[in-house]
Amino acid sequence: MTRYGMLINTKKCIGCYACRTACQRQNGLLPDEAFIRFEEREQGTYPAVSVEHLPLQCMHCEDAPCVSVCPTGASHIGPDGIVTVDHGKCIGCLYCVAACPYQVRVRNSQTGGVDKCRFCNVSNYENGTKMSTCVTACPTGVRIFGDLDDPDCELVKEINRTHAEPIAGDVTKSKVYYVR
Amino acid sequence: MSYEPIWSGIIACYLFLAGLGGGAFITSAFIRWRHPEAVRMRVYGHIIAPVTVIIGLVLLMFDATAGLHNPLRFALLLSNFGSVMTWGVVFLGLFVIVSVIVAVLDLLHKHIPVVLDIVGSVLGVCVAVYTGCLLGVCKTFPLWNNALLPILFLVSAVSTGMASVLVAAIIRHPEEFNRVGVLKKFHFCLPIIELVLIASLCFITYQDTSGAGAASVAKMIAGEYAPAFWVLLILVGLVLPTALETRMLFFSSREFEESRKAHWISFASDAGVLIGGFVLRLLILLAALPITMVVPWV
Repeated sequence: MTRYGMLINTKKCIGCYACRTACQRQNGLLPDEAFIRFEEREQGTYPAVSVEHLPLQCMHCEDAPCVSVCPTGASHIGPDGIVTVDHGKCIGCLYCVAACPYQVRVRNSQTGGVDKCRFCNVSNYENGTKMSTCVTACPTGVRIFGDLDDPDCELVKEINRTHAEPIAGDVTKSKVYYVR
Repeated sequence: MSYEPIWSGIIACYLFLAGLGGGAFITSAFIRWRHPEAVRMRVYGHIIAPVTVIIGLVLLMFDATAGLHNPLRFALLLSNFGSVMTWGVVFLGLFVIVSVIVAVLDLLHKHIPVVLDIVGSVLGVCVAVYTGCLLGVCKTFPLWNNALLPILFLVSAVSTGMASVLVAAIIRHPEEFNRVGVLKKFHFCLPIIELVLIASLCFITYQDTSGAGAASVAKMIAGEYAPAFWVLLILVGLVLPTALETRMLFFSSREFEESRKAHWISFASDAGVLIGGFVLRLLILLAALPITMVVPWV
């Protein structure tokens, strides 16, 4: 079975926000609507200090709190395990926004509906559609998209090589892995 | 980073009004059973119940902007019975229907079947408990995800419901207010139970292994919300009513108890209960932090 996931290697991230901008262009988002949120943290002790850039987005959890709380069925898990919002069903009650532990769901200020990362990379991954996604736009190759159930794909090999893990352990069975 | 609460004022109002409405209906049923002579108070409770719940629901619809733009989508609210909100819609819908029927019957001086009182009271309890479960199922928020919260909201709902009926009686029908002694004694107990529940909630949430529970409790009782918590919730909402009612119920002569001055003391106590009921919901909404905020990446 196909189970799409992503690897984000924060050690390569320079905090340029190209992924966020590409995502906004690709998905036609409003200027104040971003599916990728950046957290920054200073780490180390002087003189060996650095800033960690941490891009956060929908983790496409298998045990998705947003899906279980959604009263209208707008938030649902699609056939490829991608957590999706049906914009025709969303009433904007924000229950999913409150339930999401990663705080990565955003309200569209024009429609009032809720939206988040759609894993649009899947079109590029499956049939090579030219897109401006977070994966293709990243100048330092932070992100790898792929099928977690395919042991031969680059994603799985890289997760194994780097010992990447979901950002908060197995709290929600997240499918976005981080190297930090 | 700082965590921005998703729900705040409007939802706190809604949780407060829904609970108050359920509590007011239960109060009316209790008055009818235990104080059948207090007719006006019973009518007030029967009017307050649907009015507050409907105001709360309208607030909720205005907060759900995408639904407000496409009202037909509200019909979808009954599509996922795995969601607590769907159950809430069922309870609220049935409660509004029953409480409106009872209010109309009462205003027309028609006989209200006892079964309607019982069904309405059960639905009132369901509505009050639902407001707690709504938050309670968000399992990544330790302040919400525990079995105490629905009970706390239920006790607070009945307490605020009774307070609203008592306030109306003090203003309009003090002679009936003087005669509902048993109701007042029940009303007296509730803030004390709430104090115990809030203390238990804080102690148990504080021990949550992720650290988010401790951070939430600290934010509430010692952080930015500490003034609201200690002054508005604990002092004005719980301790003051308990102190005033102790004085009124156990250390006052009957003449003083029925004086207008005593009524205004009770009014202050009930107003405190109402303020505390709202502040409780607001603080629970604002102070809750998710466990993912305290894992070692922030």
